[in-house]
Amino acid sequence: MSATAQARGSLEPLTSPKVTDLAIRLILIALADAFALLLAVSVIGDGNWFLGVTLIVTALGLSYVNLNPAMWPVRWMTPAFALVALLVIYPMFYTLYVAFTNYSDGHRFTKIEAINAMGDTLYLPEGEASYAWEVFRNEAGTYALWLTSAEDQSFFAIPDQALISVSGDVPGAYEGYTHLEGGERFRALSEIQEMQFGPSDNPVGIASRTQAGVFQKKWVFDEAQNALIDQETGTLYDADDTSGNFVAANGEIAPLGYWVAVGFNNFTRIFNSSVIGGPLVRVFAWTFGFAFFSVISAFSLGLLVAIILNRGFPGVRIIRSLILIPYAIPGMIGILIWRGMLNPNLGVITTNMQAIFGWAPNWQSDPGWAKVAILMVNLWLSFPYFMLICSGALQAIPATIYEAAEVDGANNWQKFWSLTMPLLLVAIGPLLIASFTYNFNNFLIIEALFRGGPPMIGTSAPPVGHTDNLISYTFRYAFSAGGTRDYGFASAIAIVIFLIVGLLTLLQFRFTKRLEEIGENV
Amino acid sequence: MSDMITASRERVADTSTPKSRRGLSWVRIVEIAVIVFAVAFALFPAIWIVSAAINPSGSMVSQSFIPQNVRSIDDLLANFRRLFNDPTIPFWRWVGNSLFISATTTILTVTMTALSAYSFSRFRFRGRRTLLVVTLLIQVFPNILAMVALYLLLLQVGRYIPLLSLNTHGGLILVYLGGAMGVNTWLMKGFFDSIPREIDESAMVDGATHWQAFIHLILPLVRPIIAVVSILAFVGTLNEFLLARIILSDRENWTLMVGLFNFVDAEFTNDWGVFAAGSLIAATPVVILYLSLQRYIVGGLTVGAVKG
Repeated sequence: MSATAQARGSLEPLTSPKVTDLAIRLILIALADAFALLLAVSVIGDGNWFLGVTLIVTALGLSYVNLNPAMWPVRWMTPAFALVALLVIYPMFYTLYVAFTNYSDGHRFTKIEAINAMGDTLYLPEGEASYAWEVFRNEAGTYALWLTSAEDQSFFAIPDQALISVSGDVPGAYEGYTHLEGGERFRALSEIQEMQFGPSDNPVGIASRTQAGVFQKKWVFDEAQNALIDQETGTLYDADDTSGNFVAANGEIAPLGYWVAVGFNNFTRIFNSSVIGGPLVRVFAWTFGFAFFSVISAFSLGLLVAIILNRGFPGVRIIRSLILIPYAIPGMIGILIWRGMLNPNLGVITTNMQAIFGWAPNWQSDPGWAKVAILMVNLWLSFPYFMLICSGALQAIPATIYEAAEVDGANNWQKFWSLTMPLLLVAIGPLLIASFTYNFNNFLIIEALFRGGPPMIGTSAPPVGHTDNLISYTFRYAFSAGGTRDYGFASAIAIVIFLIVGLLTLLQFRFTKRLEEIGENV
Repeated sequence: MSDMITASRERVADTSTPKSRRGLSWVRIVEIAVIVFAVAFALFPAIWIVSAAINPSGSMVSQSFIPQNVRSIDDLLANFRRLFNDPTIPFWRWVGNSLFISATTTILTVTMTALSAYSFSRFRFRGRRTLLVVTLLIQVFPNILAMVALYLLLLQVGRYIPLLSLNTHGGLILVYLGGAMGVNTWLMKGFFDSIPREIDESAMVDGATHWQAFIHLILPLVRPIIAVVSILAFVGTLNEFLLARIILSDRENWTLMVGLFNFVDAEFTNDWGVFAAGSLIAATPVVILYLSLQRYIVGGLTVGAVKG
């Protein structure tokens, strides 16, 4: 039956919507739109125009679908697609956007935000110290300064309070504060050296053993020259809008950079950099190998068990239930149990192998055995699932097909490859694909079992492990505590992963369609 | 592995004859060996964790298969007492958090997927196939890598809707809902396709709307797949760990999985017993749920897929 023929059956609703229904729908749409618009405006006000535009586009799309009579079948999907737009599509595009920027530690702010942030850095101009100072301390341990200027004006400076005008010689005590002299003054010096006294917007600090002065802003941005000036040294740091740094003539870079578009830089880095290129190739190979062998091993064992049980076995129901247990145990718990059992010193598998064979692999530090261990644990996690779906699919294959094949003289071999396998693949082909892509992106088992370890020698910041797959490798780049977090680079790898897996899925999709056609012809 | 496949080839053809009446041939011996291996492989970790949970001394080094030095039932529960009484482990709070988050996510997911799947199954409209493919494709984008974006999203939205901010259950549920579409929609659609269209069509000839046909006729018929998707969504959310770990920062707000993972970071071999006790409590209800609803899971997963 073709799509158009099916369409005639039920495309148009036979009853037109009632007026009250329409009114309720209009009111709901108006409310939703108003809410989305309000949120979008607020979010754009915070500078996040990307999210704001997403919200508005989503709201408009939903209104269109719900108001255009021709779009009525899609209305059923509006709640789902609103969430998908906001929580799947938006993050995807945002990631794409970040992949073309230098967003990373040190480049987290926009140019203006970076300039403002550096404006908080203060310095004490040398030689301009204008006060002689004496130090005071109260019962609570708070320090204060008695400042005397060259013009003999005196002030009492308490941290975060306005200066108090005072007069006369330095007293022994003032307002609960005691004057510290001689050795005490000397000892206090180390503590008060970095402190700021007086009003927080214009604080006073210790410049030398005798002199104090007013702090000044270290970094001032000069719009006309598009440069940052270091007030302390007078150095000019030109804003380089291609790298997102403020760069001095001698090549020095100001402490904070800013966020700029860098074109394809992150992508070329993936394929060019010799440091990154080496381990990345191995990570790639392992990612594919891990996903492939995980699916093949789990499918084979699952199918084998399903076939045996389907042929009749004493206590089938109980056996099936028992084998299902790994599938039913929460994955993280299962992995952590294995992690304990594979512990190189005390784990039950290691100690027993040592007792029986006198030798046990070091699962955590031998790259090859670590991979074996991960595949084994993943087989444990997923073969029951394949047993489950294979046995269901096998039962669904009608017996008459086999009878017909027998009449035609087919042998067991032919029946398996020409009937069972195609029909089985039609049924569970999509699930095999899903399983492959799931394992391609399987972060949990890699991270929870060995944390990607053992580390590859010669890689650092972030260190790459022998069992790291693309996703955990990228995660380390984006979120690792050591080294700089490079979201731009991590996002670029994420995009590459997405392209690979997306392509695979499309190819497999074609394959599934072909299988469906085979299935229909049987 | 190739041995197993060869072995299977010879036997598959017999799937149509449910009972084998042969004697103890070598094929039968191989079959028994495979099943014994599969059962032992599947069960060993589960049995080992039960043994660890009731081992009175609680550390990995002292564990034996049958717990030693057991003088009373009380000794068997030593790890559980530590788990419940340690003030740094708000165990029941974590359980409550997990149940709340999973239940809410499941109800919303099932509602949304059922609506979408019905539409995909029954209506023919422009772009239907594209949307179906897109539904599956977006699932492929690794959620973990969108973490920066999701994190900033919750940060932003949370300023105006505190219920959905970072470190809240609402925010976590929102993120879960975004990822719940793909496979579930396909599973449901497959099952919906297996319900004859004549059922809704005849109802609509009698004057019912699509909505009425869906609620009163189709929903009761697709209960098995609703059950399957519910279980998958519930258990999937219950087991989810990474997003929960990044979004929920306060110990009080943690889910059970985040809490249990925390044992590993500390002295795992010493806390092995307490970890085992917590894991046992967390896993047992899920295992019972799965095993008792096995029929639905098997039926739903395959019938939906078989019909395509």
